[in-house]
Amino acid sequence: MSITYRTGLSALAVFALAAPAMAGNTLIPPGLRVAVAKSAMTVVPSIEWNKLGARPGRNSESWTQDGDDLNDLTFYGGIEAGRPLFREVDKKNQPLPKVSATMLITDIPVLLENSYRVALGAASFKVDLVEPLPFAGNKGVRFTYSFSKQNETLQRRGEARGAVIAGKLYLITYEAPGLYYYDRSAAAFRAVAESVRL
Amino acid sequence: MRTHVAALLLGATVFASGAAGMATGAGDTGRLALPTYSQAYTPTTVDERGVWMEADEDERRLRESPSVIRDPALNAYVRGVLCRTVGDDRCRSVRIYIERVPAFNASMAPNGTMIVWSGLLLRVRNEAELGAILGHEFGHFELRHSVLGFRNRRSGTDLMAWASILIRNSGDIQYAAIGQIYAFDRAQEREADMIGFRYLARSCYPGSAAADVWDHIMGESDATALGRRGRAQHKYVAGFFASHPTELARATYLRAASLGIAEAKSVVVDTHQAAMAAWLPIFLNDQIKLNDFGGSEYILANLAAGSGWTTPLLYARGELYRERGNPRDLVSAAQFYQEAIGRGDAPVEAYRGLGLALLRNQQAAEGQAALATYLRLKPAAPDAALIATLVSQ
Amino acid sequence: MVKPFRTLLAALCLSLLAAAPAFAQEKTGAKPGFVLKPGTARVVLMRPSILVGAQSTGGMFEPNADWTDQAKENLAAALAAAQTGLGNSVVAYAEPVGADSARVAEYQELFDAVASSVIEYQFFAGNRLPTKKRKDQFEWGLGREVGALPGLANADYALFITTEDHFGSTGRKVLQLFAAMANVGVTAGVHKGFAGLVDLRTGDLVWLNADMQMGGDVCDPAGAGKRVRQLFEGFPGKPVEAPVSGTPAAVR
Repeated sequence: MSITYRTGLSALAVFALAAPAMAGNTLIPPGLRVAVAKSAMTVVPSIEWNKLGARPGRNSESWTQDGDDLNDLTFYGGIEAGRPLFREVDKKNQPLPKVSATMLITDIPVLLENSYRVALGAASFKVDLVEPLPFAGNKGVRFTYSFSKQNETLQRRGEARGAVIAGKLYLITYEAPGLYYYDRSAAAFRAVAESVRL
Repeated sequence: MRTHVAALLLGATVFASGAAGMATGAGDTGRLALPTYSQAYTPTTVDERGVWMEADEDERRLRESPSVIRDPALNAYVRGVLCRTVGDDRCRSVRIYIERVPAFNASMAPNGTMIVWSGLLLRVRNEAELGAILGHEFGHFELRHSVLGFRNRRSGTDLMAWASILIRNSGDIQYAAIGQIYAFDRAQEREADMIGFRYLARSCYPGSAAADVWDHIMGESDATALGRRGRAQHKYVAGFFASHPTELARATYLRAASLGIAEAKSVVVDTHQAAMAAWLPIFLNDQIKLNDFGGSEYILANLAAGSGWTTPLLYARGELYRERGNPRDLVSAAQFYQEAIGRGDAPVEAYRGLGLALLRNQQAAEGQAALATYLRLKPAAPDAALIATLVSQ
Repeated sequence: MVKPFRTLLAALCLSLLAAAPAFAQEKTGAKPGFVLKPGTARVVLMRPSILVGAQSTGGMFEPNADWTDQAKENLAAALAAAQTGLGNSVVAYAEPVGADSARVAEYQELFDAVASSVIEYQFFAGNRLPTKKRKDQFEWGLGREVGALPGLANADYALFITTEDHFGSTGRKVLQLFAAMANVGVTAGVHKGFAGLVDLRTGDLVWLNADMQMGGDVCDPAGAGKRVRQLFEGFPGKPVEAPVSGTPAAVR
């Protein structure tokens, strides 16, 4: 029960955080098959993308056209049972849900939704459409979703495809603001997702 | 270890002054005087105007925010409880925004904006408990705490910045400065608690509700910790970083206060459950998705203690157990779904949950039968095609 | 991937790095070939986000309503004076009410997101995206549909402005001296702003200027003029030259 002081908190944070190391971003050329997310997963992009130097977690990597806030393509390359989808900000007080080896394909959208709800601290996340779709020759799922960040009006949309293969989670997500940006790179995302092989 | 001692001392001081305050404050209802209420206060100092400006900007954002619940019925209910707690005069100037955020909180800005999170509505069991929290927040507003808090916080951060640069091993001083900021907040919280209690005592609601809320918040945080294989951690003195008195201290002084007044109030018809009926399944779903098994289980049990295990509570419990997904959880989940279905008014999704729990528990035939029922009852479900692949495998 | 603290971190990095000249940063970008012909353009000024306050020794922001009001007045007056001198018209956006106002708020946030991306992934040399490194390239935008917002039908350009000023208090400046001796980078005051012009026919961001270390006290007319000049640094056609600085009286 209190009035929150965002400014006060960020002032405190200055003393706790150091500037993260600058990571280089690299060009992903179109038409060539590349391995992604430090895994056996490979894809062929139809247009050029930028691979961000910063990774969301150990077995993952992100690509973008204009910056991860405007369009974000993230690969999760075989997240093992017992591990969260992405790096936990506050392991003790805000633990993220973990991958389970007995997950059904219906649990994949739930894992993403619950991870985002914990990370965003908001209930704005909504799964819109879920359907079966093979993933790299395995039984998989495709789903679309929408959300907004806390204290933001801007609606963001997402689409993901994934599968649990040999007890590990493989997932490709694409997210962008619903205004303009989502439609702009959706086809390029689908080309990447449809080319996935393991 | 120095910081530890400091924490104990600080906590003890606050607690002791709290007890002293109580001794003088506990009289009968008639002597629980409230400060004279002044309407439409206009900010005067530079600090005040600055804080007002930020509050106005925040309110602009709230008015467009997709996370605000606009349902007129729910808004009317919350406003009604606030008005019955603090009185119509005080309540008139307040703009209430219910935000869909699944955590226990409410706040009030100096310009009269009150924000109530959906997680608070989920956790209170009746009008009186809701009134206790809203009265507490209104107390901050009436006592104009946010400006005072701002000034205090500024001197605290000043000290920390100096310490971090001038003193090589400045950890202790930084801790002390932070401790001062939060100790001040705790004193404010206690003041707001007590004025909130006075509103409650003068209202139609039982004064004991305030203490009940803190009892339950303690129970929930213990349950969260236990669920994460930690230790139960409710503290007997306020922790060093606590901006609020410990829940135990609050429950204690508020309980003492409620015993100190002779209450002879007629029982009011409580409309809380009726007002929440449409939103309860939604708020429960938001809570269950937070990966907090212990805390969610505590909330469910606490609500059941007030209303019995109703169908929405049973269904939500099934979802909670299925999502944790240990083998024994899947067995329990199936039982909860079946119990909900047995009531006759369960959502169709109960068959979905039952089927998925059984499938994960390797009871393939029963699981597929339940999923087939789900598809038969809701052929146009958004996940129908995906569920169909599980039925036919 | 969701990064709730990204903005905060980015802001922190910027304020920390500002002290280190090694990370040189560009401030201005414009779409190649863009010119704003004098006497032809109808520019709509979207509700500027202007926040002015003091920065205490600890770096905490103290909002100041009086300074903010003054700054809003001064910036608007200086801007109007500058554009009128060019023969262009600048009008403040008449905000719609109801459902449309949420859409306007979304576009304001989209502009902020785009501006932040330009700063983070094009202006910041060390973090530049490979596809944004090509010579004479500046491809950013809000999409053609921004022109369909109510009230923009007859306008050519939308101008977005965000400024945030935390003036260093005396305590903060003294701290800065000691910090320099201790080899710790502490900046006195935050003075950042960005201004961007969006072509309402194409939705393209035709020009953006972003500065995390701005000068000019936005609270007095002359200072506001300086700030407007800085915000419009690199503006194609250099519209904001003479009219502003010398004539504070005329602005009032």
